[in-house]
Amino acid sequence: MTDTVSRIVSQILVDGQFGVLLYFLSVNIWYLILLVSSLLEMRRHLLLIADESRHLLLSSTLSPTISILAPAFNEEATIEASLKALLALQYPRLEVIVISDGSKDQTVQVLIERFDLVPVKTIYEQRIKTKPVRNLYRSSTYPALVVVDKENGGKADALNVGLSFAQSELVCAMDADTLIESDGLQRMVRPFLYETEVVATGGTIRVVNGSEVKLGRVIRTRVPTHALAGIQVVEYLRAFLFGRLGWNRLGGNIIISGAFGLFRRESVLSAGGYVHDTVGEDMELVLRLKRLSYEKGGPGKIAFVPDPVAWTEVPESLKVLGRQRDRWHRGLADVLWRHRRMLFNPRYGVTGLFVFPYYAFVELLAPVFEAAGLITLVLGLIFRLIDWNFAALFYLTAYGLGTALTAFTLILEDLSFHRYETFRDRALLLWWALLENLGYRQMTVYWRLRGLWKFMRGRKDWGVMERKGFRPLAAPTAGT
Amino acid sequence: MISEYLLKSVMLVEIGLLILAVGVFFMHGVWLFLTQKRSLRQMTAARDSLAKLLTRGTVSVEEIEVLRQLPRDVQVMAFLEISRNVTGAGKERLRFVAGEVSLIERARKLCESGNWTKRLRGARLLARMDVADPIVEKLLADPHPAVRAQTAEWAAAHPSPTVISAMLGMLADPATQARFAVQDALLRMGSIIAEPLAGFLETQSGPPAENGLRVAESLAETRFLPAALRLSASDESGVRIAATNLLGSIGDSTSAGRLTDLLKDSDSHVRAAAAHGLGRMQYWQAASQLAETLRDSTWRVRRDSALALRAIGAPGVLFLRRALKGNDAFAADMAQQILDLPDAAVR
Repeated sequence: MTDTVSRIVSQILVDGQFGVLLYFLSVNIWYLILLVSSLLEMRRHLLLIADESRHLLLSSTLSPTISILAPAFNEEATIEASLKALLALQYPRLEVIVISDGSKDQTVQVLIERFDLVPVKTIYEQRIKTKPVRNLYRSSTYPALVVVDKENGGKADALNVGLSFAQSELVCAMDADTLIESDGLQRMVRPFLYETEVVATGGTIRVVNGSEVKLGRVIRTRVPTHALAGIQVVEYLRAFLFGRLGWNRLGGNIIISGAFGLFRRESVLSAGGYVHDTVGEDMELVLRLKRLSYEKGGPGKIAFVPDPVAWTEVPESLKVLGRQRDRWHRGLADVLWRHRRMLFNPRYGVTGLFVFPYYAFVELLAPVFEAAGLITLVLGLIFRLIDWNFAALFYLTAYGLGTALTAFTLILEDLSFHRYETFRDRALLLWWALLENLGYRQMTVYWRLRGLWKFMRGRKDWGVMERKGFRPLAAPTAGT
Repeated sequence: MISEYLLKSVMLVEIGLLILAVGVFFMHGVWLFLTQKRSLRQMTAARDSLAKLLTRGTVSVEEIEVLRQLPRDVQVMAFLEISRNVTGAGKERLRFVAGEVSLIERARKLCESGNWTKRLRGARLLARMDVADPIVEKLLADPHPAVRAQTAEWAAAHPSPTVISAMLGMLADPATQARFAVQDALLRMGSIIAEPLAGFLETQSGPPAENGLRVAESLAETRFLPAALRLSASDESGVRIAATNLLGSIGDSTSAGRLTDLLKDSDSHVRAAAAHGLGRMQYWQAASQLAETLRDSTWRVRRDSALALRAIGAPGVLFLRRALKGNDAFAADMAQQILDLPDAAVR
């Protein structure tokens, strides 16, 4: 009997090992294709922008107008600094709409006092049903600033209200705590000028932890010494520089970070705005826009701008990071499930045949296969079907190519934007890239599996994000 | 069971790739460290020489020689950087110095290259140095849209009849990037393009006419009136919208009459644009027609009609008050909202 059980387990392990290794290899081959594609795309992009002058865009009356939609909930401590940074963005025809989503603290009061807000009346077309608006304010010192005070309805609801009030051709959806590069909008708007087919653009989001920030601007980029933040720097570089940039060339992205994205307002309104009942509302909107462009025509290209345009603070505690990753994966599962009819559907072109399956089988199911691989390895050791040497070899082989690809991403960053200048930063980046596979990655597998499980059980809560705040500029010392 | 040999082989390849990547990453860092300091030094020297040459008014052979000795990339960067901040005589001097260090010659050669990225660099350099050269003009017909767009930027400062004619032809450019640059350049040329643009609009239709109308709207000259009147009857709604906007910006009695007719157009965007135009002109004679469009099925038309009535003044406000008591709930609601607005909001 014991022999039979052992034989069955052995057979499963043998087959499982092959399956898992094959999965790892095929995923990494996909990554390799994306890396090559992103290298080509980056080259093209850098050639296009070399010696480019954006004064044309800055001074032209034909430049598309942009409304920034900044939802805020209980942000009394940071709203003034964040808003001043937004108002100082270098873009000629800009409107900033802050939507206080039923803040229970003094957010609105702070805004009224610091920005000389006065109540105004306006009329707007409510094409999307939202929670009621309590008050509308305009600033008497900053003509471009509009503040909407509304009842609490969540981020999606706040963005929908902002969409209704916005007057511009393009809307920029962002998180209130995202730091945008002063010329970020000029870079983001470029694809809209290049192609009428573009419906949305996303840019590279970088990790701000460890860097020096002054007046809402990152003035010195550093790699954090904190392990969790450091590894996330590497993750973000990989995700944006070769994930999204690679898809730019291969047929288009279906993700734009909720932290900073630019959309055609009319297209978003026609699509019905953001949906409320998902935790992945940003990805859902992008995929819906893409899908509608195939079904009804109209612009549907999602362009990715590789320039580092915005900065975000990442969690430095396992608890918060776990909640974030769990939510992201639930969001991904939910969005792919909602639009499942696109999977392998030739009607949706490259998106249906390649991009969607990639997200379903590589991004969504990765933790399932990775967990299966790890469990197989542990069981193999328990049943003494493999020895420690073999287990170590298997583990290193499975993660090896991924690590090499990550190292190539670091080269890509270095050759293009070169934001991490010192030897210390290089060494740290490489260190975090190597360390990523020793524990961190396995934890993300667990969190993502938890997200999948919660999705299957129908959970749609957000969890709480705790922020430490940006590192201020170091006080100048004598002689500096 | 997977053979250890296979795993080891795969791992060796992976280790090789990793070592290669790490090596390149650090070697590039070392290379940057070594070259950046030198580049910075050279750049500072270039800036100093250029600043002296531009402010002094006389050209010293030694300083030209200093610039000539610098690497090509540093020269280009220095000239481009300083070109943004000088105009008139300063620019002329800069051009002279650029010619002396053979930068202009190099840019010309780049413009003739078979590689579009080189042509783009050449056009950028000549555009920023304001060099009037037929070689750049030829690039208006370049196969790559980025080069065409860059050349259009150059053209804004060189509005010769042939350039203007080529630019007007480019209003039909299939690439958005080039079209945007062309429209912008035409606007920057100013009233010099009014005559040729009016002639162009009188013969065009479709997208080129629509793009031209957008430029004409910003210039708002009465000589566009015949074309605007003709194109306001176009079959394409995009053209009609642009023509209606132009009529609104011209603002004479003929265009007001046509705008009043356009309040009955089949496209709601045209109706809204017509109402907006009449409001801008404060054309009180159209108040009763605007009161009718206050009952339009489209929210935007109702809003623009109500705003126009409010902008007209007393006669318009009278119609808005009447609408409050009318049997159309949508019109009454819009009238109420517009009457509630403070004057500043309407202006």
